[in-house]
Amino acid sequence: MHQPQTQAAPQSIEDIAMVSMEFGKLLMESGAASAIVDEYVTRVATALGAESVDLRIGYASLAITVRANGSGMARMRRVGGIGVNQRLDQAVRQCARRIESGELNMSTAADELKRVVRETPRHPGWFVDIAVGLACASFGRLLGVDWPAFGFVFAAATIGQFIRRRLIARQVNVFIAATLISFVASVLSGIGSRLAGSMTVDTAMTAAVLLLVPGVPSLNAQYDILNGRPTLGSARAVWVVVILIFLTIGVWLGQMALGEGR
Amino acid sequence: MHIELAKILHQTLFGALAAIGFGVLFNISRKNLLWCGVAGGLALAVRTVGLQLGGSLESASFAAALAVGAVVQMFQEKIGVSRNTLDVAGCIPMVPGGFAAKAILGLFALTAPVPIEPDKTLIVSVEYFLRVTFTIGAIGTGLAIPSLLLRVRRSISKETPLPAAKP
Repeated sequence: MHQPQTQAAPQSIEDIAMVSMEFGKLLMESGAASAIVDEYVTRVATALGAESVDLRIGYASLAITVRANGSGMARMRRVGGIGVNQRLDQAVRQCARRIESGELNMSTAADELKRVVRETPRHPGWFVDIAVGLACASFGRLLGVDWPAFGFVFAAATIGQFIRRRLIARQVNVFIAATLISFVASVLSGIGSRLAGSMTVDTAMTAAVLLLVPGVPSLNAQYDILNGRPTLGSARAVWVVVILIFLTIGVWLGQMALGEGR
Repeated sequence: MHIELAKILHQTLFGALAAIGFGVLFNISRKNLLWCGVAGGLALAVRTVGLQLGGSLESASFAAALAVGAVVQMFQEKIGVSRNTLDVAGCIPMVPGGFAAKAILGLFALTAPVPIEPDKTLIVSVEYFLRVTFTIGAIGTGLAIPSLLLRVRRSISKETPLPAAKP
């Protein structure tokens, strides 16, 4: 085990606060629920020598109070865009366990985290596009889309995910992007399935935009509320609702363009 | 009320494919994608059986989430994937995104200059809203219950000692 410093100077208490919050920030940004963030920040800070840790988890920021050797310090840290990245999430948790086992200490932990962020692999973009296309086409089947429309839902959602990657790279506002993607994907899916003689054009248009449905935040919102963090849970829920509204505007515009739906 | 095996197999297969597809989006490693598929397939199989036995979408989704949560809780150590990952990937195919879109579309239709059958549209829209809310609630609660019941909390944090009361 790593030996806690016997005389923790204010500087090192600040280091404990900042390093442990970096773990929390990365976990939040990779899609972890608040209970996990709280658990790992506390574990890291305790392993680095903190006697007590109090963490506030907001939607866009973390605040921590660390106490060690009779003195304490409060610090805040901004959290960036919240996405879902399971391999980064796992790598950060592994890093935390290495601090607990004494393999990493204060001076090496921050560098190791930077390395983890830099080197955690991602699936190739084209692979993600195709997988998402397949997921939406499968969703379509679950919702009752017929076989003639299946291939077009797949193609439209694949193109939709391709556009999403391009828009994220250009840092387009996530809500505007949702409308753009859902409009393009629903129109492509609608035109294709109509030409193929599908009887479920309406459902095919909806299925092609399901790549935008924020499933992880909607489940995290509940986890957070059930774990005693209603403020963060509500913030996530509001974000989910707004994304759904913007997504639907895209489908609505698509339906008007094709004269489908109501 | 009868069990239709072909339908169950169909839903299981596409539930698994949807879970794997979303697993890729969530950057789950290739070797763990298979387990996402298993979780997604299990979720849809249980939900479909539940629906065929006459259950509502909400209760069937609850049973499915409960099953996924419990199975993941039992096997996660052996598989070596985090509970959260499998739970979420497995239950994503049950999140009723399509209903949510239809509910909001219904509200848009109500505000048209000349709404067609507004009372019917409103009822359908509200029904979709309620189904989305209850289904997501059922999934979240179903997933949370096994972990809340079974999780062995590691005593990791040292609580701040309260200052001694002075007379």
